[in-house]
Amino acid sequence: MTTAAPASGIAPRWPVDRGTVLQWSTALFTLVLVFAPLVPVILQSLMRAPLYDGIGVFTADNYVRLFSSQTLREAVGNSMVFAFMTTLLAMLIGAGAAIAVGRTDIPGGKFIGELLLWPLYLSQLVMAFGFSIMYGPSGYLTLGVQAATGQTPWNLYTLGGMAVVAAICEAPLTFLYCLNSTRMADPALEDAARVSGAGSLRTLWSITLPLMRPALVYSAMLNFTIALELLSVPLIFGGPVGIHFLSTFLYDEGIGASTPDYGMVGAAAVALLGIVTLLVWLQGRLLSNIGRFVTVKGKASRPRRFPMGWLRWPLALLLAVYVILGVLAPLAGLALRAVTSFLTPLVPVWEVWTVAHLKMIVSYPTYVRSILNSIGIALFGGALATLLVALVAIISQRSPFRYARTLEFVALYPRAVPGLVVGLGFLWAMIVFPFLGGLHNTIAILVLAFTMRYLPTGLGAVAPALLQIHPELDRAARTAGADWWTTSWAISLRLLKPALVSAFAVLFICFFKDYATAVFLFAPGSEVIGTTLLSFWIQGDAGPVAALAMLQVLLTFAFVYGVRFLFGVRVYG
Amino acid sequence: MADVVIEGLTCRYGDVTAVVGLNLSIADGEFLTLLGPSGCGKSTTLAALAGLDVPHAGSVRVGGELYFDAASGRNLPPEQRSCGLVFQSYALWPHMTVAGNCEFPLKLRRVATAARAARVKEALKLVEMDDFADRYPHQLSGGQQQRVALARTLVYRPQVLLLDEPLSNLDARLRERSRVWLSQVTRQVGLTTVYVTHDQSEALALSDRIAVMNRGRVSQLGTPQEIYDHPADPFVADFIGSSNFLKGHIRGTADGGRYAVELPGGQRLMALSGKTFAADTAVLVALRPERLDLHAARPAGDGQNLVQARITGRSYLGARTLYLADVGGTALRIESDLSFNSGEVWVGIPEASCVLFPAEGSDLS
Repeated sequence: MTTAAPASGIAPRWPVDRGTVLQWSTALFTLVLVFAPLVPVILQSLMRAPLYDGIGVFTADNYVRLFSSQTLREAVGNSMVFAFMTTLLAMLIGAGAAIAVGRTDIPGGKFIGELLLWPLYLSQLVMAFGFSIMYGPSGYLTLGVQAATGQTPWNLYTLGGMAVVAAICEAPLTFLYCLNSTRMADPALEDAARVSGAGSLRTLWSITLPLMRPALVYSAMLNFTIALELLSVPLIFGGPVGIHFLSTFLYDEGIGASTPDYGMVGAAAVALLGIVTLLVWLQGRLLSNIGRFVTVKGKASRPRRFPMGWLRWPLALLLAVYVILGVLAPLAGLALRAVTSFLTPLVPVWEVWTVAHLKMIVSYPTYVRSILNSIGIALFGGALATLLVALVAIISQRSPFRYARTLEFVALYPRAVPGLVVGLGFLWAMIVFPFLGGLHNTIAILVLAFTMRYLPTGLGAVAPALLQIHPELDRAARTAGADWWTTSWAISLRLLKPALVSAFAVLFICFFKDYATAVFLFAPGSEVIGTTLLSFWIQGDAGPVAALAMLQVLLTFAFVYGVRFLFGVRVYG
Repeated sequence: MADVVIEGLTCRYGDVTAVVGLNLSIADGEFLTLLGPSGCGKSTTLAALAGLDVPHAGSVRVGGELYFDAASGRNLPPEQRSCGLVFQSYALWPHMTVAGNCEFPLKLRRVATAARAARVKEALKLVEMDDFADRYPHQLSGGQQQRVALARTLVYRPQVLLLDEPLSNLDARLRERSRVWLSQVTRQVGLTTVYVTHDQSEALALSDRIAVMNRGRVSQLGTPQEIYDHPADPFVADFIGSSNFLKGHIRGTADGGRYAVELPGGQRLMALSGKTFAADTAVLVALRPERLDLHAARPAGDGQNLVQARITGRSYLGARTLYLADVGGTALRIESDLSFNSGEVWVGIPEASCVLFPAEGSDLS
């Protein structure tokens, strides 16, 4: 058998095919990254004794206690009711706003739409602080209304109140998905309804809304899972009045308790994991016949906007009031609280003005460290995660790798893993797996945990763009003489660059604002902004917390709008 | 340069077998076309030649070198083969200029910078695109992109040139001009060429030989003339130029392969055939619309059959008119450059233009 190169074919330069080596090592790394935190959680749920005492006797006892515990049954019930109400509200707000902004001729729609998205960039922890400062029992606006009317206008320390706060945080997701869907709608479908005799509203109801169904189903599922695993709002508003949730149980037992019941924590984590996995699977089933990715056709025409007539201004006003009260007021509350020694409508702001909080966050070591750690993790961790995303995407979609589909499935599985479970899993993984032990109390373990948790988010930003790159471009490079890796490097990844920039931007934001994954993993020296905010808020230091939160908000906005200005890339395009 | 020998090639996608035991040998410097409807396995064969898909059985040998052999498990990856493939979409890399596209294969072959520039220039000159070297693909028209795609392939002097429907994305006028041009360029470089198309006129105009493919098999392999005049089966007769098919039975034989065929309406045709048929065999008579004549009145019939027909429809083609005529209950398509009004006409069918096939086992019975 001849091994000499033919006249113009290229003889192999490497003894082992480097493409195969890269494919296998990426796949194995991803496999370990995704399952390293899951295995210990499942193990712990089956053992009475803590994992660090070694692998003990397996028992289903934890699950029996979990389901017979009155407190936990209540917590699961609360979580479900809360998630349901939050989803309902977020869907109404998000879908309504998407139609109003995307499809009607209300004035200032674009500007309102931009502000509506803001909560998406920010941590739900920060939004919850803002709401607490403005609308809490002694909140600025609460007291203001109380002084004017003599009555307590609202109470956020209820399931309903919490659902409103969470819904405002999550509505941007629905808004975004529905807005994209309205933009991709074929105007001819609506024109056909109009020609057949349907009026504006009838067309909206019978054609436009049903066409949005995939976006509605998808965002409803997403909202439900996010609300189910949400920690910030239940902890801040439910904690003080003793309303417990599955997420707050994990947090309190896993961290707060002096002698944690590890078996119960493990079982509760597996229960949460199970519910979310089921929901993600259900979502896949519901959307399976719709096609995984809807590609935009190269059409120049945009859907026409429905004329609203005299309703234009009242509608715009309604949205403006929502944005001012739901988005801008909490942020303004944070900003005011950051520069005042205490905040109340009864005393003018300039009389309580102070720069002490600002001074504190730039001088107190814990604050400074957490700011630097957060920026470092978001920047370098985000870049590393983008690299992994790029490799996984290109291997699972554009390589002859035998387990390409399996790799994609594994890489997308963290969608079903709540942030708290990721944190808990990595914490225990450091105990169970010796090769992770050295990462204890370092920011490296945070980078790993964040990368695992947000891998699907990054892939989501890249996969559709990769589908748009014609496979013949790869095949042309292969026949021209490039091996798989040269083809990927010189052609596919080069063409994917804009999508990789947006993946990095999304990952940066996710890494920067995360708190739930980090609560179990941080230690003195490896704090991030999210964990510092949470621990100081619980201690009651509202002023410095507001200042730090404001700094996070400003840095986030600088990044979001900086990336848009410099690269023309929209975070969550 | 090299010859291509394909033996027993079988390709499967899941449950679908796209190519079934294909045997084909292509001489050094020959221009061979794989012609067939979509899904006949022609593009699959091309991809197997280039090494882009892994076949399930058979072997592929180019210029004496074994590219693929299922028995020994040998499979040369595409980059180690010496094939040049021009894609249907052209697949020009959008982030590289015209020169950059042509240079890439040379970079991979570690050609020195000076030699690289010279060879790129030479290749672009060959396709008359040397003035566009600094443009990006999106700044070119479809025809120009197609030329660059060919230059990018020729620049590294492959042993075999593979063309996957390179003209199908061009509009009708440009396609015709590009066909002439492509023919000149490929003759000039003299490479062994495999051309894939579903367009029979391209195949007839360009090829030394045509392999007509249907359902993963070669239905007929021959020169364009052979395939047009002597289609091997009803499928080929219909696919290469369109044909009318009349059912009938052999009623008698005469000398020199002349057969009398009785049509269902009782009319009789005389047909010439190289094949032998027994009396009373059910047959299909294939008639090409452009080989039939229309007459307003009965002409003197020497060496041709005459049948009476009624015109039922017409469509004007410009130079000629396509008539739909009813012959004893069967519809015939007939091309003519004369003008007829609807009504009774006579159709002249030359004996030599009747192609006979046994009716049994044919796809179009």
